[in-house]
Amino acid sequence: MLILFGFGMLWVTADVYTEQRNVLDQVKQSTIHRKDLNQNDFAQNLPRQAVKAEMKYQGGDFWTESRKDKVERYPCYTCHTNNPEKFKGAKEMVHGDILLDHGGADKPLSCATCHLKDNPHLFKTADTTNIDMDHSYDLCGQCHFRQKQDWIGGAHGKRVLNWAGKRVVKNCTSCHNPHSPLFQKRWPKTYSPPIDK
Amino acid sequence: MDDSKNRLNEKKFGRRTFLKRFAQAAALSSAASATGCIGLIQNNEMLQLKWKEYFKKNYRLMTPQEKEETVERLERLAKIEKHMDIQMSSQNPINGVLFGYAFNLTRCEGFMECVTACVKENNLDRQSHTQYIRIFEMEPGGMSPETGNGKYFHEVPLDNHFYMGVQCFHCENAPCIRACPTKATWKEPDGIVVVDYDWCIGCRYCMAACPYYGRRFNWSASQVPYNEITKKQHYLGNRIRPKGTMEKCTFCVQRTRAGKLPACVEACPTGARIFGNLLDPDSEIRFVLKHKKVFRLKEDLATDPKFWYFID
Ligand code: HEC
Ligand code: HEC
Ligand code: HEC
Ligand code: HEC
Repeated sequence: MLILFGFGMLWVTADVYTEQRNVLDQVKQSTIHRKDLNQNDFAQNLPRQAVKAEMKYQGGDFWTESRKDKVERYPCYTCHTNNPEKFKGAKEMVHGDILLDHGGADKPLSCATCHLKDNPHLFKTADTTNIDMDHSYDLCGQCHFRQKQDWIGGAHGKRVLNWAGKRVVKNCTSCHNPHSPLFQKRWPKTYSPPIDK
Repeated sequence: MDDSKNRLNEKKFGRRTFLKRFAQAAALSSAASATGCIGLIQNNEMLQLKWKEYFKKNYRLMTPQEKEETVERLERLAKIEKHMDIQMSSQNPINGVLFGYAFNLTRCEGFMECVTACVKENNLDRQSHTQYIRIFEMEPGGMSPETGNGKYFHEVPLDNHFYMGVQCFHCENAPCIRACPTKATWKEPDGIVVVDYDWCIGCRYCMAACPYYGRRFNWSASQVPYNEITKKQHYLGNRIRPKGTMEKCTFCVQRTRAGKLPACVEACPTGARIFGNLLDPDSEIRFVLKHKKVFRLKEDLATDPKFWYFID
């Protein structure tokens, strides 16, 4: 035991722990920028299904997951033509799976709050129309301004795959069902055994 | 203390028998090469590799070439012993990177997908059900995981509760490092606190020194079904750890030094886990530190963890 101990001591240069500075002070003084890192180290192809966001974050351009390719009934204009098929109960038949639970019981949203009446694959807000389905964060952001700011900055939502290189984040609707946006309760994926110290 | 002594004895004993066997095998294998029996020749190679393994240095003292040779040796050993093609890396920290982590207490819903992802990625022992991450179900107002329920199993989230994930915090001023008598654990320049599993004597002083229950002691080498083993490994990370050593979260060093997110962050379905480079003022982690009210556990201990909690 002693031999090993002494051996260990021989080669070890004592680490200095007297410094009581907070890591944040140190961090805030750093001047390293993302661009200074060798980006080639992380040569990263964008995922196939990413679109460039219409705004910038503190580090410049970023990308978000596309949605049109994931929405089952896209393109909507196969039915929503200038001359739509109209019969009683058609909407329930086609879109009966959509349960709208958004906006609270007293002021529920309606389809036309978000979807354009004649072109439902596009969305509208108070000051913009024709929001593309891949950019629905602009729609959500009209009413959820704080969440959108956090999403742009990185405190809400999440990055896909990498912390380095080009920034790709999940779209709002990758996580939230726009029609009933609250996360559903479910069973956890696993459990933890009791701690044995 | 007794335990560590036992273990040292065990190791010494192990070495002696090993030498004896080596001599026997060497004699055998010279005979074998004469008859050209492939099995035994492989056996000979294995013994040579093990011999070198046994006398290797502490990782921190190895030259780049020695590191390279060491990981190649371990790859070869996995091939001979387990018929498995692993890729082991000894990748160094990236300059200008200091890793930091933030946990959004408002978002976490207790689904525990991070835990399963971590177990899989890091080849954690399935038999003893080892987990590096623990999620506590907390009553409103509770801010210390000791008051939470770490063993919940029911539909989540439970109304009027929040969830708090705890793992190694990679303290800048880590008490575990000071406690280690063999300097088998240290902080890398990118801020990750790592363990040289082959230099650890299993005395568990570090475990006692950690105020956050961040470290795990293994009583056996990890048992992982053959086809579930993560083959992309790092010497300081998710390689199969020898029996009787200390292990813990390494911020998935094998992934994060390659630019990827740790497995827990990638698996999180709610975006409660935020990871990035603290030295990059544009990073998400810096955004959180700047714009959110963040706190750390047991801040008065001056351990200076690089793991922040926040509520938004
Ligand atoms: C299979 C044909 C079909 C497809 C494809 C389809 N719809 Fe519809 N949709 C209908 C029918 C039929 C109605 C009911 C027509 C009506 O009442 O005007 C309807 C109604 C709607 C309404 C409600 C209109 C209102 O004011 O009540 C919305 C919103 C809508 N669809 C959105 C979409 C979107 C978005 C897509 C594409 C992702 C889509 N639909 C694709 C057939 C379809
Ligand atoms: C809060 C705004 C909002 C409201 C209200 C809303 N939608 Fe949507 N809807 C969206 C968004 C955003 C998408 C794109 C979904 C995606 O990205 O996956 C969408 C997608 C769809 C789709 C295609 C996806 C699918 O599930 O088939 C249909 C159909 C649809 N909406 C119909 C409706 C109908 C019918 C109503 C009214 C009952 C309605 N929506 C109300 C925002 C809204
Ligand atoms: C027209 C305004 C409006 C738009 C557009 C809108 N929301 Fe909402 N949303 C609301 C209102 C109102 C509430 C209810 C807030 C409350 O209960 O305090 C709400 C609640 C929510 C909630 C919380 C769920 C709950 O039940 O508490 C989420 C999540 C959400 N919205 C996500 C979205 C997403 C994602 C989009 C874009 C697809 C979106 N919203 C678009 C008005 C909107
Ligand atoms: C990584 C997944 C993810 C993404 C992406 C995401 N959210 Fe959320 N969001 C959550 C979770 C988890 C909650 C917690 C509430 C719950 O239980 O549903 C939440 C809650 C919310 C709420 C409820 C109020 C609150 O802050 O708790 C709103 C509103 C909301 N999100 C809007 C958005 C908008 C707008 C976007 C896109 C700009 C977005 N979210 C993107 C996961 C996500």
